[in-house]
Amino acid sequence: MTSLLEVRHLGRAFDALWAVRDVSFTVETGELLGLIGPNGAGKSTLYNLIAGALKPTRGDIVFDGQRVTGARAYHMARAGIARTFQIPKPYRQLSVVENVMLSAFRHEPSPARARSLAQATLTDVGLGDYAAAPIATLTVGLLKRLEVARALALRPKLVLFDEIMAGLTPTEVGVMTRLVAELPARGITVIWVEHVLHAIMKTASRIMVLNRGEVIADGAPAAIARDPAVVKAYLGEEMHLA
Amino acid sequence: MTAAALDQVKASRRLPVMPRRGTVSWFEIALLVAALVLVAVELPQNLRDVIVLTFLFGGLALAWNIAGGYAGLISFGHAAFFGIGAYTSTILFVRAELTPWIGLWIGALLCAAAGALLAIICARLRGPFFILSTLACAEVVRIGALNWASLTGGPEGLSILPVPGLASMVFASKTTYAALMLAYLVICYAVTKLLEASRYGYYLFAVRDDEEAAAAAGVNPLLARTGAMALSAALTGIGGSLFAQYFLYLDPTYVISPDLSFQLALLPAVGGLGTAIGPVMGSLLITPLSELLRSYLGHAAAGLHLVIYSAALIVVMLYFPAGLAGALNRIAARWTRAP
Repeated sequence: MTSLLEVRHLGRAFDALWAVRDVSFTVETGELLGLIGPNGAGKSTLYNLIAGALKPTRGDIVFDGQRVTGARAYHMARAGIARTFQIPKPYRQLSVVENVMLSAFRHEPSPARARSLAQATLTDVGLGDYAAAPIATLTVGLLKRLEVARALALRPKLVLFDEIMAGLTPTEVGVMTRLVAELPARGITVIWVEHVLHAIMKTASRIMVLNRGEVIADGAPAAIARDPAVVKAYLGEEMHLA
Repeated sequence: MTAAALDQVKASRRLPVMPRRGTVSWFEIALLVAALVLVAVELPQNLRDVIVLTFLFGGLALAWNIAGGYAGLISFGHAAFFGIGAYTSTILFVRAELTPWIGLWIGALLCAAAGALLAIICARLRGPFFILSTLACAEVVRIGALNWASLTGGPEGLSILPVPGLASMVFASKTTYAALMLAYLVICYAVTKLLEASRYGYYLFAVRDDEEAAAAAGVNPLLARTGAMALSAALTGIGGSLFAQYFLYLDPTYVISPDLSFQLALLPAVGGLGTAIGPVMGSLLITPLSELLRSYLGHAAAGLHLVIYSAALIVVMLYFPAGLAGALNRIAARWTRAP
């Protein structure tokens, strides 16, 4: 069987600077892959490449058996790749439930059914009470959860989470971690970037470490925490592995 | 979010007066009845003129709002579509004796193509750059119409013979024109209401609010914008044809003027962008005001209507950022809240 996502020698340069240098990895269906790395490691660029927001300078992306290198963001979304944005990007003039409806429309053309699917997704992420709220009234933590709801309402095969825990209280982190951990069982493969490392180390089935645009480690969470190259990469940053 | 804020959200949701997406309110029905009464009752001739133009500009403002309000494509060049619609039906009628009832649809199709082209040409432009490009494109159309005299009559313009008849779409009674323009307004309103309750309408909101997020939800931003501009242009073109049949004379300096473009953008901005009722209310307020002032002050105050537009726009931007519709919504909310 082929992998769900296969990234081969992917690179992206901004002028002379390679944000992603030469990245290759595969993700199997049902995996929960944690992606970590210091600031500027190239995590966001890698996400933008896989989600189609940026075109790669070199390399290939194969998703679900199809070569999708350089395809546009809306093609990637239709192919089954959902993403969240590190800085939330809500539709500001729409209500919370309408924000999620826009993702639900992918599989439910009728507004009434899209609304009920959106409502159910909001309940899943603990935003059920905020369905009618205007975006302007939401805190950062709630906006992060809205990002997650929008990604899940697409019913994706693969979801790219980008720091969905930032701004959440410890209780909320627990709730969100459980939600993410359940996704593989629901048929949704997850790649997860997070700075709250203890959450990701506990939950991920595999961790990949990115530094200076390259993969410096890839393996089980326990092995990653002891890897000298990883420890060195994080030198000078606060690190609370395991 | 605090409990008080939640209460506020709940309160603002129950507004039986103001229209909501996907439903028809009593307010809308009352407005329609009032409009029908205005068509039916006897009125002095100059008031009839005002009513005809108020309905026409209400429809045009709704058409503009599909691009400007819903898709966020603020255009200062819609007079070009108005002109293309007006000239197409008139040229086909005057030169080929094709009834304007068919000509207006041909004009609408041409406008849709022109609108789509505009959206594609300006695909990468945002904000002021997009606005200036629409203005420039309209100027190209105006100068083209002025110089292609063999087709358009150039600066001398085109006249339609004032011979009343159903096939010629020329009517002796202004009541008929009022009814025709009201039908146009109602059609534009219905299209808007259907759009805002549909999946495609939501796509437009999404692209307007955050294009990158919309693309991540599988929406093709360029397709959404192109469709919105084409629909908006087609409806504007139909309005242009109707105007030609009412005014019976066309010349590029009026029908494709930047003046007209600004007016088409201003009415929905004053009334409330991105709402169905907003453009109607904008026309209800501004069109009679400017027409009456124009007829009473005459040439002594040429350009005064522009001063009034600007003043209205400044007042609205300062005190009613959501337009008249938004202001009324707030008042309605206060009234319907429990005492």
